[in-house]
Amino acid sequence: MGKIIFFGGKGGVGKTSCSTAFALSKARSGLKTLLVSTDPAHSISDLFHCQIEHKITQLEANLFGVEVNPERESNAYITKIRKNLHSIMSPIIMEELNKQLDAASVSPGTHESALFDKMIEIIIDTSKDFDYIVFDTAPTGHTLRLLSLPEMLGAWMDSLIAKRKKTLTFKSMLSKDKGIKDPIIEILSKRRNNLTLARKIMIDGENLQFIFVLNAEKMPIEETKKAVKMLRSYGIKVTSLVVNKILPNENSDDFWKDKKVKETRYLKIIEEEIPVDNLYQIPLFKFDMDEYTINEMAEYF
Amino acid sequence: MKEILENIRLFFVGALDMQGKAHGHIENEASDTMDQFMLLCFGDLLGIDLPTTYYALELLPYLGEDLVKWNMRMSDKKSIWEEKAGKLDIDP
Ligand SMILES: Nc1ncnc2c1ncn2[C@@H]1O[C@H](COP(=O)(O)OP(=O)(O)O)[C@@H](O)[C@H]1O
Ligand SMILES: [Mg+2]
Repeated sequence: MGKIIFFGGKGGVGKTSCSTAFALSKARSGLKTLLVSTDPAHSISDLFHCQIEHKITQLEANLFGVEVNPERESNAYITKIRKNLHSIMSPIIMEELNKQLDAASVSPGTHESALFDKMIEIIIDTSKDFDYIVFDTAPTGHTLRLLSLPEMLGAWMDSLIAKRKKTLTFKSMLSKDKGIKDPIIEILSKRRNNLTLARKIMIDGENLQFIFVLNAEKMPIEETKKAVKMLRSYGIKVTSLVVNKILPNENSDDFWKDKKVKETRYLKIIEEEIPVDNLYQIPLFKFDMDEYTINEMAEYF
Repeated sequence: MKEILENIRLFFVGALDMQGKAHGHIENEASDTMDQFMLLCFGDLLGIDLPTTYYALELLPYLGEDLVKWNMRMSDKKSIWEEKAGKLDIDP
């Protein structure tokens, strides 16, 4: 089973860059690695000069990439539900349900869940084939709750299945038609099985790790500290931190000298207050990430 | 965060325990079970923060009429209370 790595941290700290560099480094040390990019704006296609899209594409000897677009995933999900709605006859109810789906399709929670769902699918489908599966983002909010408390989701599904069965029993007591296959129970059971499988791979197999990316500044340190503590309280491993965009040592300007002094202080706080196995320190590069800089960054992992 | 989780846990426990023993008629029990089912699926319509709403959407095509009926009854709390009170009277 491959290791599953989520890169967590605020937008813009360097998750996509660092996860790509991390994946490059693992691949070049001979480990078969899958890099999953979820950032439509900052795609890894640009870094590797090829069209990656939604099929797993080979990038180097041991490196493979796939792009996931959360919005597309959630649109596909909602569209499929809308298609199934056609079996409902009443136009009033159709309208009501469509309203429901309209609201869901623009909700950020839906995109987040769609992404989580796709992540689980990738993990189930590929974890046997790779040594590392690296995601350039991490579950947050609702989906983090689902991940940290999978038993909650299991309980939810079990309870729904039980209630559905009971309802069906009543219905068949009242009417005569018995033994029909129920789509609701089928859907719920399928989901239940998938989640159990994903949980087995990630949690029971101890293959799941979070890596947090942060900058050496006050607020990010506090936030990361909280996040790490919470994940650990749920038994999820946080093995590494990446402090990204570290200033150069030599600064001629007083402004930067002063900044550097503060940064050094914050680095020390990070070391003391968020203990991890690996603390990667990545310099601030002159250029934004491109095919050259990313190779330079990979040297640090 | 802890608090939210606790609330959700309580919610689930509550939903599971709602099946009291004092039910007389199959229809009542069936509609109670259906209510609980709907609440677990679409509690967010009533302002209960559920992390599972996304998964429930997929069930919509198969629940259509029941969901709309349920939603109407839930928005009309008075009728629910009357219904429950009525039940308490008849049931032993
Ligand atoms: N060490 C670094 N030095 C210079 N620029 C960086 C560095 N790390 C990231 N960047 C740049 O910062 C921006 C945000 O990085 P990105 O990896 O997309 O962050 P995230 O995925 O967390 O939103 C990008 O323009 C990227 O090129
Ligand atoms: Mg990104």
